[in-house]
Amino acid sequence: MALEDQVPVVAGMRMIPIYVCALIAVYGALRLVAEGNTLRKLPFLNVVSFAVTAVIALLLPHPITIAAAAAFFVGSTFESNAIASTWAGGMKRNG
Amino acid sequence: MDDIVMAACVILVLMGTFSAILGRDPFNKLISLSVMIAGVFPFIVDRGYLDVAAALALIVPVSTIFILMACQRREGP
Repeated sequence: MALEDQVPVVAGMRMIPIYVCALIAVYGALRLVAEGNTLRKLPFLNVVSFAVTAVIALLLPHPITIAAAAAFFVGSTFESNAIASTWAGGMKRNG
Repeated sequence: MDDIVMAACVILVLMGTFSAILGRDPFNKLISLSVMIAGVFPFIVDRGYLDVAAALALIVPVSTIFILMACQRREGP
């Protein structure tokens, strides 16, 4: 059985921060798709990842949610750093 | 999950998917794929599968790094 029957549901005024974070995520994704340069796409990817992290952390009031949000935060930051460092050419040999 | 949050996540997934299909550069495709996976995550969390979400958040960057090893720039000697 899923956890959704056991935890309280976020509703009412508490949904407003989630709406704001979802709006930021959609706006960041729009800017990311509209951007042409690959290196300029990466800050918008970070914006989308942070906003989705906030949505995950606020969506379900359960103690393990913060662990899932932290794992997503670490993983997405690691991923965008790997893409950026590979795009930049990686480590140069002999200086 | 509210309808507005669900619509936002669906917009993220569709935008990432079509940007990954229509892109030319492999790095742009990887960035769009990362946006798509970021849109998938709130659906997993909303159902309550938090362990699945945590495991997936740690597995996805590893797969991205495997793709990066295949498409990294090779400079001539």
